[in-house]
Amino acid sequence: MELVYSENRDRQEAGELPDKELALRARGGDMVSFEALVTRKTPAVVSVARRIVGDAEDARDVAQLVFLRVWEQLARYDDQYSFNTWLYRIATNLSIDFLRSSRSRERAHGATLHLVRMREEMTGRETTDALEDAELARLFQTISGRLTGKQKAVFVLKEMEDCDTKEIAVILKCGESTVRNHLFNARRILRREIARICPGLIAGRGPR
Amino acid sequence: MSFSCDDLRARVPEYLDGVLASVETRNFREHLFSCGECRDEVASIEPSLLFARVSLEEVSEKDVERVLAGVKAGVALEQAERKLALGRSKRRRRVAAIASAAALAALTLVLPGSARRSDSREPVRAAARSAAAPAPGFAPAARSVPTGTFPADATVYDWNPGAGSQEPRVVWIVDRSLDI
Repeated sequence: MELVYSENRDRQEAGELPDKELALRARGGDMVSFEALVTRKTPAVVSVARRIVGDAEDARDVAQLVFLRVWEQLARYDDQYSFNTWLYRIATNLSIDFLRSSRSRERAHGATLHLVRMREEMTGRETTDALEDAELARLFQTISGRLTGKQKAVFVLKEMEDCDTKEIAVILKCGESTVRNHLFNARRILRREIARICPGLIAGRGPR
Repeated sequence: MSFSCDDLRARVPEYLDGVLASVETRNFREHLFSCGECRDEVASIEPSLLFARVSLEEVSEKDVERVLAGVKAGVALEQAERKLALGRSKRRRRVAAIASAAALAALTLVLPGSARRSDSREPVRAAARSAAAPAPGFAPAARSVPTGTFPADATVYDWNPGAGSQEPRVVWIVDRSLDI
């Protein structure tokens, strides 16, 4: 009874500690701190993974892999840097790996069929208001299949996760100019695909 | 300070070039997210910004529990594997230590006496002898090493079995009575 009480108290205490402190305690083998960290960070990791891999179930699988990788590599975590940046790096890399392997399994005609169906659904849409968030998310998942893993990761981190260029460069371990280049190409491809699939959204809508 | 519709529209190029300060960038996105008209307007300039801040359904508590359960199972499995690997490597280290001790003993065992190089005054005889000698390699040796030093069931391997009696010998003795 005393043991259960003590464990609950530890959990409660861990829930109030900052990320970095939890990570350092977990590195020392403290499982309660590690569980608190997983519970706290799962929504963010699932969210970024979902935007990159596209499917909720796959995103949960990727999130599990991310936290297992975190557990294995906690000894390598440099506490001079933000824990979030380190976590995002692992989440982004594993999501890109997952995307690569799932794309290699995907049959090309299946993907094309999906695009054709999406085009049928989107024809006639003329304002963004007419698009629900869920539809926009689905549109993004469909057309972002044309992006490379890195381009998609940069676009997601920049436009959806509110990371700035410098932070993305640290997460992806590349230069800021590379990040800008990926973003430029991602926007160009998305622009082209939107014009192809739902031209009504952008045709003839010049500045008012 | 939050953006007005005019501010936002005027600053689209700066946003796209990534030169807005981080607070301004956040305000830009917040306005874009909440204002349908600006979203339409910006979509005409840069359609990909339709997806800025697009929200997905919340990650439920059940999802978090599922991820946590999977991670805990994975960590437990990894810890079990690590323990197994540790046990294996301890056993391997013990065997390696015994083997290297045996090798060291064998290498220092030079029989008999001191080494004598092949006689440089007799090059023809030396060449003939080396051609006749079998290629170096471990082979069970005749028990020319002093018996009694090793148990009866030990096997003696000789590195240079064809060597003359005056040449250095390197032997490897495997003692089967050791339980490793």
